[in-house]
Amino acid sequence: MDSPGEDEIWADMAVIFPVFNDAPWSEPAPAVDPALWESFVRALAKHDMCELLEDIMVAKISEHLLEVAEEFWARVTDQTVLGFDRFKQAVQGLDRDSANMLQYVRRIEDMRRMAGVTRKIYGIDDWSVLLKYLIRATLHSQLPVPKELSAIGDFYALSFKVFYHQEKSSREFNESGEEYHCNGCVELAEDCKCDQIIASFHFVNRILIKLELLERLAGDVLTSLMHKQIESHVQDTCESCYTMCFIEPLEKWLNSVVVGWLNHLYSTAPECPETQSKLITFKRKLNHLLYETYTMSRIDQLFNIIIEYPESSPAITDLKLCLKKTHLRPVLVEKLKATLGKRLLHPGVNTPDIITAYISSIKALRDLDPTGIILETCTNPVRQYLRGREDTMRCVVMSLTEEGPGDLADELAYGDESNQVETNWEEWLPDPIDASDTKEDKERQSWDIISMLVNVYGSKEVFVHEYRNLLADRLLTQYSYNTEKETRYLKLLKLRFDDSQLHYCEVMLRDVFDSKRLNTHLHAEPNFGLNQQELEVTCMILSAQFWPVFKEEKLELPEKIKKHLEIYTKAYEAIKGNRTLCWKPHLGSVNIELELKGRTANYTVTPTHAAIIWHFQEKDQWTIDELSGVLHVPPTVLRRRIGYWQTQGLLKEVATDTFLLVEDSAARTAKNVAASDAMMCEDDEAESIMASAQDQREEELQVFWTYIFGMLKNLESLPLDRIHMMLKMFASQGPSAVECSLQQLKQFLDAKVRDHKLLFSGGFYRLPK
Amino acid sequence: MAQNVNPSSPSQLTPEKVNGNSGQPPLDNHAVTKRLHKELMELMMRGEKGISAFPEGENLFKWVGTICGADGTVFEGFEYKLSIQFPHAYPYSPPVIKFTSQCYHPNIDLSGNICLDILREKWSPLYDVSTVLLSLQSLLGEPNNASPLNPQAAAMWKDPSAYRSYLLSNYSQFYKK
Repeated sequence: MDSPGEDEIWADMAVIFPVFNDAPWSEPAPAVDPALWESFVRALAKHDMCELLEDIMVAKISEHLLEVAEEFWARVTDQTVLGFDRFKQAVQGLDRDSANMLQYVRRIEDMRRMAGVTRKIYGIDDWSVLLKYLIRATLHSQLPVPKELSAIGDFYALSFKVFYHQEKSSREFNESGEEYHCNGCVELAEDCKCDQIIASFHFVNRILIKLELLERLAGDVLTSLMHKQIESHVQDTCESCYTMCFIEPLEKWLNSVVVGWLNHLYSTAPECPETQSKLITFKRKLNHLLYETYTMSRIDQLFNIIIEYPESSPAITDLKLCLKKTHLRPVLVEKLKATLGKRLLHPGVNTPDIITAYISSIKALRDLDPTGIILETCTNPVRQYLRGREDTMRCVVMSLTEEGPGDLADELAYGDESNQVETNWEEWLPDPIDASDTKEDKERQSWDIISMLVNVYGSKEVFVHEYRNLLADRLLTQYSYNTEKETRYLKLLKLRFDDSQLHYCEVMLRDVFDSKRLNTHLHAEPNFGLNQQELEVTCMILSAQFWPVFKEEKLELPEKIKKHLEIYTKAYEAIKGNRTLCWKPHLGSVNIELELKGRTANYTVTPTHAAIIWHFQEKDQWTIDELSGVLHVPPTVLRRRIGYWQTQGLLKEVATDTFLLVEDSAARTAKNVAASDAMMCEDDEAESIMASAQDQREEELQVFWTYIFGMLKNLESLPLDRIHMMLKMFASQGPSAVECSLQQLKQFLDAKVRDHKLLFSGGFYRLPK
Repeated sequence: MAQNVNPSSPSQLTPEKVNGNSGQPPLDNHAVTKRLHKELMELMMRGEKGISAFPEGENLFKWVGTICGADGTVFEGFEYKLSIQFPHAYPYSPPVIKFTSQCYHPNIDLSGNICLDILREKWSPLYDVSTVLLSLQSLLGEPNNASPLNPQAAAMWKDPSAYRSYLLSNYSQFYKK
């Protein structure tokens, strides 16, 4: 047999695979005569040495790879070279090394084919795959800490930038400039390196894809890079613009720019289903990232979006879609709650503003989440806060009945049709998990803004009460007998509230209407002598039972006026047998014409004002005490009223509490301009003629106090909750049943303790001895 | 077994329930409750000095009352507690009133029972808590010595200063000034 023996095989092997004898890998493998190769392989097969050769090869490659990996990472982490070049050089080196090893791998493959070896090494029977496998394994075994891998980030960031700007400039041609810097590589235009960069980008990618290293080395970097890109893009495009839908443009952008770049990245890879599936995974990931980023940015701006609703409704529509695709609902609820608290719920915000914001959140959130759960949870603190503000109901009622900023009047006119939306059972969805299970579905569905506002207090009574006060105020300050508008509102309100609750208001309007009729009637009858009077008197006759309590003020009218009123009373008594009038002299308005030196002036003022100036007819100078004696008005009130005439320049304080009538217009104008400016702020028209809610409340509490006193007198000492329970049982039975929460009661009792009306020890209240 | 019992047939629980109900006022006690509420309100709003009363607990039919001795009498400065129990036939039958603090008085025995005609045969539905309490207050100052429940006190009554010093030395716990 001429087949070589073992010794010869070893000798041939040394020639064919010089690396086995520690020849450097960088040298190209020597050419081998095909005949020699053939006989060598045959000899190997004969001596069963094929597997041995493979083992040696694996060992050698592994050994060499350790050096390669070390060198590769050294290049990547080398701080002296720019990031971009560093990574490129490292990859280049890696490519060279792998090419060197590949020569020998080819030989082994050849051998396997010829000798028919099918053994699997590491479960792999393809040697070129095995080589990549080994490279990857060795590289990763020596992976440095992430922060030293900045070169990879630099590389991709720069290449993305170049790509991004090329893409952009291909769309919109750049403005000309003498020192034009390329936006991509930040070099002067003439030595723009963009093309170079793109070339090396492709080069590196090709190698990495070839070695199947791309995802492993650069996957994280790419994702975070794109995340950053998406974030900044979303910021740039959507910041503070709520009037457009952005989802479509954003998706388009993602597809054209980011995915375009990805396509670019993979363009060097062979067209195969594997690359495709990688791309698709990447795209999905990016899409989700886009939605998440966009949703977060919208959530951050949600408060502003709500305030600008309905102009911002496209943003709400976007957000609605996004919430379905992401899991950011709890984040939204938390953030919105926090923002509402920070922006609205502090003493620096006016109640009308809070209400306006509350209304637009109702509107916006009902658009966002038709189930109402977000609204319910987010605005709960707002409702609670509003409950604590005294003027809440007043503001609501005002904006309801006047064309205020909240457009509540329109809302009122709509009626509650929105409640009657038919629900299709086929579209039924279970409540989201964050829904509180205590509330019935139906309760939440009542979307009507007005009922939501009214329900801030949990009851309609407070609202009706406040409305009644406001109505009374308005009717009595206008004196126009014009009830058309008020009647219309009342009718609208009656659609929503119980008839019985608004019955009082109806009577009030009726009173005004009847008074008007009666006035015309009395004046038309010559027998009563009303039309021969020097001054025309009309009056408003109110049914005391149905009007809210008035603030009591005394006023002694001048004799002449009293006579007029008496005549009127007589006329009334004549027409309505068995009835008489009880005048409220401090309410009403007086049209007066003042004749001063050389001029006349017309004023419409309150009776108190008129009475004051009336008395200056008799003498020019009055002191407060004198006036107070004549008018029976307390000096403090008097001083405030005189303030009005001072601003008008008619009265002058010559000494403390002494006022002089100023008739001379010339002396007046010069001196009093400054004074009037100062006084203007003292606007007494804002005062309500109704007894304030606080006064009424105090009266109610006074009733409680007699009960508390009674029970403590007899039962010695009681804890807070017993007192509360007893009050509930025994004191809140009558028609004027008053609710008093435990908290309020505690405050009330503690105030009594401070006043030494009660003693408190060991959780028990008692009366002092 | 238990599930097969007809729910409408009387169960074992019912007798207890009946017992429990028998202690409760009859059905028409709504009117009584209303009247008592009204009386309580009047009493509270009137704020009469020297007399006072309030329901003891959740039961509106059982009150605690307080009476102060009127000025100028031997009982001046003394304060006595009473228990007032309203019958369900109230106001057609009088409330049962007893002194819970020991009151040394000719018409009050040592266990607090009171001898007062309007609380017995002369009761009228027109009386109410405050009139009864006021009568009791005046009874303190003007006892009916003809039919004493406490003969010792009746005997002592003739000498007001001795009576008062006896009160102050033996019953000073009710003296509130």
